[in-house]
Amino acid sequence: MSTEKWRISRRTMLRGLGASMALPLMDAMMPAKAAAAVAKPPVRMACIYFPNGVWRDAWIPKTAGRGFDLPYSLKPLVGLRDRVNVFSGLDKAASRGGDGHYAKTANFLTGEPVNKTTGKNVSVGGISMDQLAAQHVGGMTPLPSLELGIDPVISGIDTAVGYTRLYGSYISWRSATQPVAKEINPRFVYERIFGDDRTKARAADPRAAADFRSLLDLALDDAHRLRHKLGRDDQVKLDEYLESVRAVERRIEFNMKEDPREWRPSSEPKMTEAPENPGGVIERVRLMLDLMVLGFQTDSTRVQSFMFANDVSGRNFSFLPNVNGGHHDMSHHENKEDKIAAYQEISRWHVEQFAYMLEKMRSIPEGEGTLLDNSMVLFGSSISDGNAHDPNNLPMLLGGNAGGKLKTGYHVASERNTPLCNLYLTMLNAMDVPVDHFGDSTRMLHEIQNTETFDPFA
Amino acid sequence: MRIRLIHKLAFGCAVACIAPCVQAEDMPQPPPPLAYADYAQDVVPFVQQHCVSCHNPDKLKGDLDLQRFETMDQVVDAIAVWQRAAIRVKNGEMPPRRTDAPPDDQRNAFVTWAEGLQVNTVDCDVIATEETVGWFPGVVMSRRLNRAEYQNTMRDLLGVPVDVEHLFPADNSGGEGFDTTGDTLYLSAIQMEKYLEAADRAIETALPRFDALLANVKERPGTRLDYANARRLLITAEPSEDLPPSMAATLAISSFIERAWRRAPEPTEVGRLVKIFNQAFDRGDTYLESLKLAYKAALISPNFLFLVEPKPAERGEYALGGYELASRLSYFLWSSMPDEELFGLARTGRLQSAEALQQQVARMLRDPRARGLGEQFASQWLEITPLGETKLPDPTRYPEFDASLAQAMRDEVVTFFYETIRTNASLLQLIDSKHTFVNERLAKLYGFEGITGDDFQRVWFADDRRGGVMGMAAVLTVTSHPLRTSPVNRGKWVMEQLLGERVPPPPPNVPALPADTTHDETLSLREQMEVHRENPDCAGCHSRMDPIGFGLESYDPLGRWRTQPDGSPIDTAAQLPSGEAFNGPAELKKVLLANRDGIMRNLARKTLGYALGRALTQYDECVIDDCIHNLQASNYRPTELFSTIVLSYPFRHRFSGGESDVKETS
Repeated sequence: MSTEKWRISRRTMLRGLGASMALPLMDAMMPAKAAAAVAKPPVRMACIYFPNGVWRDAWIPKTAGRGFDLPYSLKPLVGLRDRVNVFSGLDKAASRGGDGHYAKTANFLTGEPVNKTTGKNVSVGGISMDQLAAQHVGGMTPLPSLELGIDPVISGIDTAVGYTRLYGSYISWRSATQPVAKEINPRFVYERIFGDDRTKARAADPRAAADFRSLLDLALDDAHRLRHKLGRDDQVKLDEYLESVRAVERRIEFNMKEDPREWRPSSEPKMTEAPENPGGVIERVRLMLDLMVLGFQTDSTRVQSFMFANDVSGRNFSFLPNVNGGHHDMSHHENKEDKIAAYQEISRWHVEQFAYMLEKMRSIPEGEGTLLDNSMVLFGSSISDGNAHDPNNLPMLLGGNAGGKLKTGYHVASERNTPLCNLYLTMLNAMDVPVDHFGDSTRMLHEIQNTETFDPFA
Repeated sequence: MRIRLIHKLAFGCAVACIAPCVQAEDMPQPPPPLAYADYAQDVVPFVQQHCVSCHNPDKLKGDLDLQRFETMDQVVDAIAVWQRAAIRVKNGEMPPRRTDAPPDDQRNAFVTWAEGLQVNTVDCDVIATEETVGWFPGVVMSRRLNRAEYQNTMRDLLGVPVDVEHLFPADNSGGEGFDTTGDTLYLSAIQMEKYLEAADRAIETALPRFDALLANVKERPGTRLDYANARRLLITAEPSEDLPPSMAATLAISSFIERAWRRAPEPTEVGRLVKIFNQAFDRGDTYLESLKLAYKAALISPNFLFLVEPKPAERGEYALGGYELASRLSYFLWSSMPDEELFGLARTGRLQSAEALQQQVARMLRDPRARGLGEQFASQWLEITPLGETKLPDPTRYPEFDASLAQAMRDEVVTFFYETIRTNASLLQLIDSKHTFVNERLAKLYGFEGITGDDFQRVWFADDRRGGVMGMAAVLTVTSHPLRTSPVNRGKWVMEQLLGERVPPPPPNVPALPADTTHDETLSLREQMEVHRENPDCAGCHSRMDPIGFGLESYDPLGRWRTQPDGSPIDTAAQLPSGEAFNGPAELKKVLLANRDGIMRNLARKTLGYALGRALTQYDECVIDDCIHNLQASNYRPTELFSTIVLSYPFRHRFSGGESDVKETS
C-alpha cells in the first residue's frame, strides 16, 4: 500500500525537517505538541453493521441540522442527541446493481462493486475502511484490529441469485479478495485482549517462548518451500498462510520491544475474568459491545468492527412488543401496517444497543474527557428500505468526536447521490489516515468536521 | 492424451477464436461447434414470441437475457441456461401469464430441443487450465482443511478423540455450496493463533505428561481415553542401547509425518523436525516431551493444514499419484485422512487402478467414518446446518425446542443418510422411505412410542405420514419462520435443494395485496397467497413453490404432524401448473418421484461439486450423465454414485502450469 510508505516518509520528513521548516507552521504546532507531552489519548474507530435496513419514516428526522427530532426508531438516542450525528441522503452507488443483499453487505465498508460469483474470484473491489485504518494505526497496539460478530458465517451459496453467502457474512476485508474471519465467542475475544493461559505461560518461561519461536520459523520455512511446488492459484492460498504467521509474529514482537505509546489508559477495566457465552441474543450482543469498549479502554486495539447479525438474518424478535416473527421477514413488510410496526421496533432495539455502547464509553474518563470523546462509532445498515433492497439514502449514525476532530449533534441531510464514502473519507482522515479519496468519495463531509482542530494536511 | 489435445486445439482455433488468441499453439481453444437443428428457424421465433418481452437486456427478469443468443455456438456455451428454461417451460411456470401460453406442440418442441442440447462428449476427458476454464472441467484447488476435516483428521491421526473444532470460526461455502471449496476457504490471523493452540491441545491430550495423566484419571474416572493406543500409533520408535535418541526420533518423526502430511516425507523435511527435537532434548527435556515439540511443529506446518497437490515440472494434464488420490478419496468419503490401507496402496503404487478404486469406495462407504458424508455433505446439501444456531423457533411458543432437540433433528438426517450409504440402499429412499432413525427425544416429538435413550434406532412407520427427508423435523424446522410455517420457504427448499432448480428472488418492492383482499378477514393465508399469484411477476415462481409448500402444511414449525384445532385435517390439497394434483405429503412425494432422475441428477451434481470443491461447468455434465446411467442400471445404489465420481476423469487428474507457472513472492 503506497499510502503506508507515504505516512512513514511523511513522519520521518516532519522529524527531519523540524529545524528548517517554515516558522509559522512551527508556531502553530508547538503549543499543541507541548500539551501532548502529557500524551493525548488516541482516536479509536468502530464500525457496526446491522442487517435488513430500516423503515425510513421512523428513522430519518424531519428537520436537518442541530436540534433535530428523534423519530420512533431513534428514540433511544434521546440522552445522546448532542453526541451523535444522523446522516440521510448517503448512497452506495456501487450496490445499485446486483442482488438484494449480498452485493450490498459485502461492500458495506468498501463502497466498491461486488463481483457476482458462487466462489471463484470473490471480490469486494477494495480494502474495507476499517482495515485500511488498521494498516495505519494497528502497529501502535497489541492487536491491529478486532472483527466481531454474533452469528457464524452463513453456509452455502444462494443459487437463486448466484452469490456465495459468505458475502453476507463479512464487512471487514483486508483486501478486495480476502475477508477477515470474525470472532463470535466472547471468551476468545477476552483472551485475545488479555491473553490465554498459553500466552501467559510463554511470557513466564523463556524456554516455552523459544519453542514457540522455532515452531513459527519452521512454519514459515515450510510454507516457502511448499509454495514453489504449487500452481499459481494455489500459491495465493499459501500467501494467506504466510501472512497469518507473520501476524502472530508481529504480536510477539510487539510485546518484546519497547511500547511505542506515550499515552497510557487512565482507568482500570471492570471485567476481570473471561466471560462465558450467554444464551440470549440481548446478553450476547451486550457482552460483545462490552468487550469492544474494553478493547478500546485498554488500548488493546484502536479499530474494531461488529456485525449484529449476518445479512438476511431471520433472527426472531418476537420478544419485542408488536413483533411476531423474524427480522428479514418483517423487513419485507409489503407495506402492511403490522409488519411495518414490527420492523421499526426491531430497528429501535438495535439503536438501543448502540446507545448502550455510547453511554458506556461516555462513562469512561480519559484524559480531560471520556472514551466517547476520543472515538467514533459508525452504526448503519447496507440497505435502506428492506422491502425495496434500496442502497440509497442509507441509515447511518456516527457517535463520538474522534478526539475533537468531529462535531456531533447534527442531522446531516445530504443532497441526493452523495456518496456514503464521503463519510468514510472523513472518518479515515479523523483517524490520521492521509488519503484524499476512498471508494467513490467526492469530498469530505465538511458538515461534521471540526475545522479548528481538524486539518488533515496540517 | 497430449497429442489429441493439441490436435483438437488447432482445429478449434480454426473454427472460432473467442478468447484472445495469444499464440495459436499454446492457447487451447473452445470446442468446435456442433451440428444442431436450425436454431434461427425453429427456436428463435418461439423465444421471440414468448420469452423476450421480459427476458431482454433491459428488463432482465430473473437476471436472464434470452435475446443475446444469436447463434447456436452461444447457446451451446450456455447450456445450463437453456436447460433451466426448459424445465420451467415444461412445468408450465413460464410464460407466467395463462393468456400467453404457447400451444402444447410448440411447448413440447421447445422443451425437446432444449433438453437435447449436449456438450461435445470428446471434451469429457479434459481438465481446464486457467485460460480454458470456461469450456472445460475446472481445476481443483489446493486448500486448507475445513474445521470439520481438521477435527476428524486429528481424531484419526492421534487415535484419541480431541475436541478442537469449537476453537475455529465456521467456514465459508463456495462452488456448489460446500465448505470443501478452496476458493472460499480463507486463512485469517485468528486461524493461525488457533492452529497453534489446537496443535498444543491435541498433542498434550494424546500424549499427556505422566503426572497430567494421573490427574486426568483421578478427576474424570468416567473417561477412558486409550492412551496406550495413542502411544503405539505415535511413538513408533524409542531410544535403546542400539538406537540413540536422535535416530529413534528420526524414525518416529518419519512415520508420524507420513500420516500427518499424507505423503512420503523427504529426508530434509524429517531432518528439520529432528532439529527441533534436538533443541528440546539437548537442553534436558525427556525423549517424549522433545518428540512432542517436533509433532506440534508438524501440525502447524502447511503440509498438514493444506490439502496440496504439488505440480509436476512439465506443463499439461497428469494423473494424480497414489498419495494424492488417497487424500482425495478419504476427504471426499470420510472428511478425514486416509487410513493405513489407503496409505499402503498409495505407497506401493497400487491405488490408481479402476479396480482398486472401486474396491476402496465400497470398503470406505461401509466404514463408520463415512458418517462424515452425512455430517458434512448431506447437512450442507439439505441446508440444515443453521438449525439451532441462527434458525430457531420462537422459544415462548415452542419451549420444547432446545439444543438437544436441535441436535437430535440434525442427527436424524445424518444417520439416515449414512445408513442409506452404509447399507447401499436405494438413494430414492431419501425422497420416500418406510423407516427413519430416532432417539427418545425425537420419537417423543414425532409421537412414536417405545423408544428410549439417546441412541438412534431404526423405526418403521405405521402410516404414510413420514418418510424421506421432506418428513424430517430438521428440514421442516429450518424452512419455517419462528412462529409459523412458510409454505413458500418449504416449496422453495424442495425446488432448490431436491430438484436443483433456481428460484429467482422476488422483484424489489413486492406490492401489497390489493386492499380489498388484505382487509377481507374471511380470506385465509392460503387464499391470500392465491390472490397474490394473480400477479404475473409473482406467478412465475409461486405457481409451483406454493402448491408444494401447501402439500407439506400438515407439519407444524417443528415438523410435528398437525390437524386443525377442531381435529379436522389441514387443507393440503394442491395442484401444480403442469396439471398434477395431490393431497398431502405422501401424494406429493409420488408426484416428485415421477421425476426421480431430475432429483438424482441434482444429487449427483451436488456430490460431484462437494468432491471436487468447485463450481461445476457444463463439461462436468459428462460425469453427471455417467452417474445417472449407472444409478438407473443399479436401482440407485450409493456405491454407483460414489464410484462413478471417483473413477471420473476430473477426480483422478489435474493440470499443471509447468515450471514457469509461479507467482512472484509477495
